[in-house]
Amino acid sequence: MKKINISYLLAISLGLMFAFSQCDKTPPENLPYDPYAETSLDANGGNWKTYLTIDSNKTAVPTPDAAGSAAYLTELGNLKSKMAAATAEEKDLAVWWGGNGVLRWHEIARELAATYNVPPNYVYDTTGNPVYPALVFDPANPDKYPRVPFANPPVASRMFALLAVAQYDALVTCWKRKFQHNRLAPYKNATDIQPIIPANDLPSYPSEDAVVAAASREILKFIFPREVANVTAKAEEHKNSRLWAGANVQSDLSVGDSLGRVIALNVINEWAKKDKMGAANNQAGLQAQRDSATARGFTTQWHSLDIPVRPPMLPAFGNVKPWNFTDATKATIRPAAPPKPGTAEFEAALEELRGYSKNRTREQQRITTFWSDGAGTYTPPGHWSRRASNLIYDNQFNEIRSARAMALVNTAMEDAGIVCWEAIFYYLLPRPTEADPSITTGTGIPNFPAYASGHSTFSSAAAEVLSYLFPSHETELRGWAQEAADSRVYGCIHYRFDSENGLVHGKKVGEFAVTRGRNDGSE
Amino acid sequence: MRHFYLSMFLLLSGTALAQSPNDGIMMPQGQLCILGQYSNSKWEDYWQGETKRSNINLGSLTTQSAMLMGNYGITKNLNVMLGLPYVWTSASVSYITPQKGIQDLMVFLKYQAFEMEGLGGAFKLQATGGLSTPASNYTPDLLPFSIGLHSKTASLRAILNYTANFGLYVTAQGGHTWRSNTTLDHNSYIFNNELIYSDEMPVPNVFDYSARLGFIKPRYQAEVWYESFTGLSGDDIRYNEAPQASNKMAAAQAGVFAKYFVTKRLGIFAAVSQVLSGRNVGEALTWTAGATYFLDINKKGTEEVGKQD
Repeated sequence: MKKINISYLLAISLGLMFAFSQCDKTPPENLPYDPYAETSLDANGGNWKTYLTIDSNKTAVPTPDAAGSAAYLTELGNLKSKMAAATAEEKDLAVWWGGNGVLRWHEIARELAATYNVPPNYVYDTTGNPVYPALVFDPANPDKYPRVPFANPPVASRMFALLAVAQYDALVTCWKRKFQHNRLAPYKNATDIQPIIPANDLPSYPSEDAVVAAASREILKFIFPREVANVTAKAEEHKNSRLWAGANVQSDLSVGDSLGRVIALNVINEWAKKDKMGAANNQAGLQAQRDSATARGFTTQWHSLDIPVRPPMLPAFGNVKPWNFTDATKATIRPAAPPKPGTAEFEAALEELRGYSKNRTREQQRITTFWSDGAGTYTPPGHWSRRASNLIYDNQFNEIRSARAMALVNTAMEDAGIVCWEAIFYYLLPRPTEADPSITTGTGIPNFPAYASGHSTFSSAAAEVLSYLFPSHETELRGWAQEAADSRVYGCIHYRFDSENGLVHGKKVGEFAVTRGRNDGSE
Repeated sequence: MRHFYLSMFLLLSGTALAQSPNDGIMMPQGQLCILGQYSNSKWEDYWQGETKRSNINLGSLTTQSAMLMGNYGITKNLNVMLGLPYVWTSASVSYITPQKGIQDLMVFLKYQAFEMEGLGGAFKLQATGGLSTPASNYTPDLLPFSIGLHSKTASLRAILNYTANFGLYVTAQGGHTWRSNTTLDHNSYIFNNELIYSDEMPVPNVFDYSARLGFIKPRYQAEVWYESFTGLSGDDIRYNEAPQASNKMAAAQAGVFAKYFVTKRLGIFAAVSQVLSGRNVGEALTWTAGATYFLDINKKGTEEVGKQD
């Protein structure tokens, strides 16, 4: 051993250095969503039922220039120039957007949700007491924290739903005009145009990509005032990607943009400005909710465990207008009353949690964290939006069918959030740790009452709709929802009856969306 | 953020030891030194990026550890070290369940490349190569409560030491640690403002250096030291969010250390250190206490027992 010399040691060291220098310090590549050739055109898509009433006078488009016209030939020439001038990066973007524009915009929306899903930190007032700052967007100071909006699960669920509905309504309208005018794609009119993404037989006017880009842009601008420049640039990139790809001429895009914008503004003005979301954070109404619960016998009530005491998350979100059923339906599907604190049944549920609190297994902690979807993430609706996107991609849905699937799932999830919040502030049940402060948790304690579990309701609604859309995945989907529900119990932030009743509640919500899907003219 | 800092603490400040991977001391051939130590590290303020803050919903975070380490002199110029810490964390206010478990198994080879008499003492040049690997299935995905980052590491460092014949010594060392990606429990996270759809998270490599000045005699040793480490890539903790393994963590800290030999074989030691500045780490005050015991594996080294080289 004495003969070991430094060159031997150096050789070992260099080997180790080499092995570890291979460690990549950049994260793995993101969702591929490679372009694919759609198998079905859904030529009757223009007749599918939209979510909002659409005034066809506002969605008429000019008759396009004929294939042999000088104006169209000029457009084809311009397209060839754009394609020839496209840089390698622009061609990559053409492929990135070329897979499925609907899903790409949901991907962007999830990133925005995660970025904005940060509860405001307290600040110290002039007397030295910690207080929460007001959440108001200041256009003069857009980067100031806390950022607006706070994209918590209700806010995110509504954002995803508005985005999906605008995309769907816009594509239904777009399909109607496409098959009215039947302009062929540029690569069908000019054999010397070789698109860099798969060709298809879909009429190209108006461009479905421009419609989706404009509709998505308008919704995201409306929700995220700080992101106007960002999402406007993304929409331009999306539209330009069709030129770099050789898939649309400029008039396909310009008309598509106008159409998508009109439909999105219809969703904003006729739905988003009237759905009572503006009053969802009605903290002044909390006492009336407490009094009402007390009068119904729910006297042991939830309180915030945050320091300083944080106002609960959107106590009037339960009043927001649902997509797939009426306001009157909410009370008819509300979960039955939970066991009251002090009863044997409640104590038994608490005792189960004491076990996880003292001895949560590694696998239970993994499940808790996997589904936690808390601050800084895209929330449970985002988690399911991602799963839905992957199923849509794996099944190679075309744009309009993708939008329909995302609208069914995401409206069901907002509906789930609405009825869950309605029940939460109807019963005002304390969280387990408030009932027994010795109970420690595997994730952060959400700042609103316990019954029923929001994760379970969101997940069950999503699993119900996705099982309808992808029946061969039903077992897997329901298993995911069950695991999401269990995760909240393992994490000790919900009683088991919160999760079990949340799953039942969410399934009922999902069934309304499935009924809509069965009757929207697409089957 | 603790965690990383914690592992660095165990690796570097734990140094306190008469036998760490980054001091200037070698075990004689055939001798084994067994070390046991307890460490308690606590912070209330921390740096969110470069902004110092606290969190009244977290309170103070305490990380404790118990470590066993062995150092064996294969030859006079080649030592092998093995260490295994048990770590537990808790917060004074937060409701998150305290985490505990066996952290990372560490092994080091230390080679004395050069020794020369001069200036009334001796100059030594040494090199250390190390590897570590998680020794249990702890989660890296519950920072700052996680007991570690669950990353494999490899490190290389160079050590320069001068010890005067009357006992004064100075040591300067610098090292680079490569760290493998870690696997999260959840499969999306924000890295550099981008949403990543993966459970695989990059963990920054680290450069560290330290300087120590001390006095060593057969019965006692005393030392003051300064050390600095910095992540070579990574992002900052975002506004009001928890830290994550990809954060660029950095800290400078200073400490004192003292050791006393109760017998020729048994030594006891204590150390205290304070983080002076940092980034994405806690402003920790750390106490350490422990004991070392010398054993002869190879009888011919007997006459050297207890002698600090």
